[in-house]
Amino acid sequence: MAKRSSNNLDTAVLRESRSPDVKFMKSPEAAGDQGMELPDQASGYAHRTSYSVASSENTVSIPNLQFKQFEQEQSELEDDSESEAPFSLPVDSENKAKKIKFFSAAKPHMRAFHLSWFSFFACFMSSFAAAPLLPVIRDNIDLTKQDIGNAGTASVAGSVLSRLIMGALCDIVGPRYACAFLVMLTAPAVFSMASVSTAAGFLVSRFCIGFSLATFVTCQYWMSSMFSAEIVGTVNGCTAGWANLGGGAALFIMPLIYHLFQHPLACDSFVAWRLAMFVPGMVQVASGLMVLYLGQDLPDGNFRELKEKGKQVKDSWSKVIFYAITNSKTWVFALAYGYSFGIELTIDNIISQYFYDRFSLPLHTSGVVASVFGLMNIISRPFGGFLSDWSAQRLGMRGRLWTLWISQTIGGLFCFLLGRLDQLGPVIVVMVFFSIFAEAAAGATFGIIPFISRRSLGVISGTIGAGGTFGAILTQLIFFTSPAYSTETGISLMGIMIVCCTVPIMGIYFPQWGGMLWPPSKSRNATEEKYYLSEWSKEEQEKGMHLASLKFAENTRGERGRRITPSTTNACAVTYA
Amino acid sequence: MWECNFLCTSTGTKAGADELFVTWALSSAAQVDDSSYKTVELKLCFGVPSQIDRPWRKTNNVLSKDKTCGFNIGSPQPYNRAGNTINWLVRKEIPFAHYFVRAYVLDSAGEKVAYGQSSNAQRTSNLFRIEAISGRHASIDIAAAVFSAFSVISLLGFFFYEKTSTRGRKA
Repeated sequence: MAKRSSNNLDTAVLRESRSPDVKFMKSPEAAGDQGMELPDQASGYAHRTSYSVASSENTVSIPNLQFKQFEQEQSELEDDSESEAPFSLPVDSENKAKKIKFFSAAKPHMRAFHLSWFSFFACFMSSFAAAPLLPVIRDNIDLTKQDIGNAGTASVAGSVLSRLIMGALCDIVGPRYACAFLVMLTAPAVFSMASVSTAAGFLVSRFCIGFSLATFVTCQYWMSSMFSAEIVGTVNGCTAGWANLGGGAALFIMPLIYHLFQHPLACDSFVAWRLAMFVPGMVQVASGLMVLYLGQDLPDGNFRELKEKGKQVKDSWSKVIFYAITNSKTWVFALAYGYSFGIELTIDNIISQYFYDRFSLPLHTSGVVASVFGLMNIISRPFGGFLSDWSAQRLGMRGRLWTLWISQTIGGLFCFLLGRLDQLGPVIVVMVFFSIFAEAAAGATFGIIPFISRRSLGVISGTIGAGGTFGAILTQLIFFTSPAYSTETGISLMGIMIVCCTVPIMGIYFPQWGGMLWPPSKSRNATEEKYYLSEWSKEEQEKGMHLASLKFAENTRGERGRRITPSTTNACAVTYA
Repeated sequence: MWECNFLCTSTGTKAGADELFVTWALSSAAQVDDSSYKTVELKLCFGVPSQIDRPWRKTNNVLSKDKTCGFNIGSPQPYNRAGNTINWLVRKEIPFAHYFVRAYVLDSAGEKVAYGQSSNAQRTSNLFRIEAISGRHASIDIAAAVFSAFSVISLLGFFFYEKTSTRGRKA
């Protein structure tokens, strides 16, 4: 009797200490999966078991056995004691968030979301801060039209190179440091703008500030690491769209700051604009500090710690770049993006002066009106991404291509019209429609890019992103630097060029999904798997390097639109087995 | 036609510091009925060398679209046949350029009815230079340098701090 009661007592003690962690006891394998969260609890548990061991000898063996299992796992997980267990958003198996909560700054997903779009926004603001103040700057430094055009071109030229490099940098040091490096090292260029006194100095300053536009890449990379595939499109569209607002915000805010220095603070106009340039610089530094202090590379922790565990699959750089370059779709979309996003950058640079000079609006009014173009990004770019997804549900990839082509072409037509009108009211209305279609086209482009390739996705996105800024360089050089045409003629000609550069999209063809003008191929070889596996050689497939692409291919079946064929799904299951 | 004279130094008039001395009068050679002439506006206008490659200063024969004369010299004066003079301190927002002075005569309704200028009709000769302020100050340059240094140093400091603290934790 006494023994039984002591047994009961021991059992009771065990149960008490077990209850918080019952799930771990039942499935040690599962405990291994969630290994990250275990160490603290395992060590706590060990303490509790020691009490029950002391009170009875019958039950010694059981807790010791379980303790050993935990001990084995604990040795693998020593570095992770600082990572947090619960996330405030539902996550998938990689701890990437499956939902988005806009009004939250919870660690790590939403915090990363807000940090990344805001730092990109700050860089956009700095890059276009000089544009609305040009009527004052051109008098201060005695600039000619060529000087202004060249400086405008330079302001976006730097980012072509930096966008290409930034993808590699993110892989090496992680998106958090890549972003902070870029933002904090280009801030001196913004401050130096306050000291320029020659056209050459102005150009160099704008060129260096322009490097910061590569935060586009860190933003997209960071979001792709934090959010799962189902919503990464919307997340990328939101962050890119809201960051592009920075271009519009600069046109709106900078003249206000300039007037603040000029009137209440009684500075000369040639001093006031210099002081105004400190504001975007300080915002940039502040955002860089926040990224460093509050940010985190991945849901599970920071890059350096996780990289050492060897979680990344190693691929050869030369192969990745080879498959990116030889894919013709990369170049067609780089050109097309240059004529949607690139046009947006060009307009951000020239439109404020256009309203000041052609319609004789005062400086701050020209800034406000001009800023409407960039500010439309708050809805138009995410809307473009949404429209692309919506058309894909019905018509698959063909729908996405048609959406892109239609919105970009209509944008081009509105651009042509913008240069032909000479009354303020109609010009503003046409400009608003032009911005909606051009920015939606930019958003729709990134609805298609994830499907071009799986192996070389990073390099392809970087190339197309660089193509965007390259389009801005080209249009500014051709249409807005030479004294041969007036600004309004330049705008109309640019509209025609947009329509022409959108035509190559008609040539895009995916064998399994079709193209704009051709339906998908009826051949048996026209499958998603065949398309994505064509990037891996036989030897690489034998090593199993292609498995992620295979999984991805299965997930892209939805791009067939409403006619999904079941036969290929079975073939896929066989491959896995 | 009128005569419009000015006085300037050979190194260029300094904005904010020097003055322009302008005299105007009805030309003795002119045979016009000046009963409608009421006020005179003096304007500082860009000469052709400062208009090249700068379409925002373009001359247009339609006066409402003309951008040649951007600055007023003093306030409008009442017209009188013998003319008048004015000593005008060049304001600090006047940019560096080659200028001439133009005088517009307005009638009682404010319409421009006559003009005269100090350069030739093509606006290429008899121009004078105004040296603008640079807008730069030593304090602005120093502030820019300090902020830039702060940005770079705080980045590197953070980077090396994190590097050494993770290394310390592993050791």
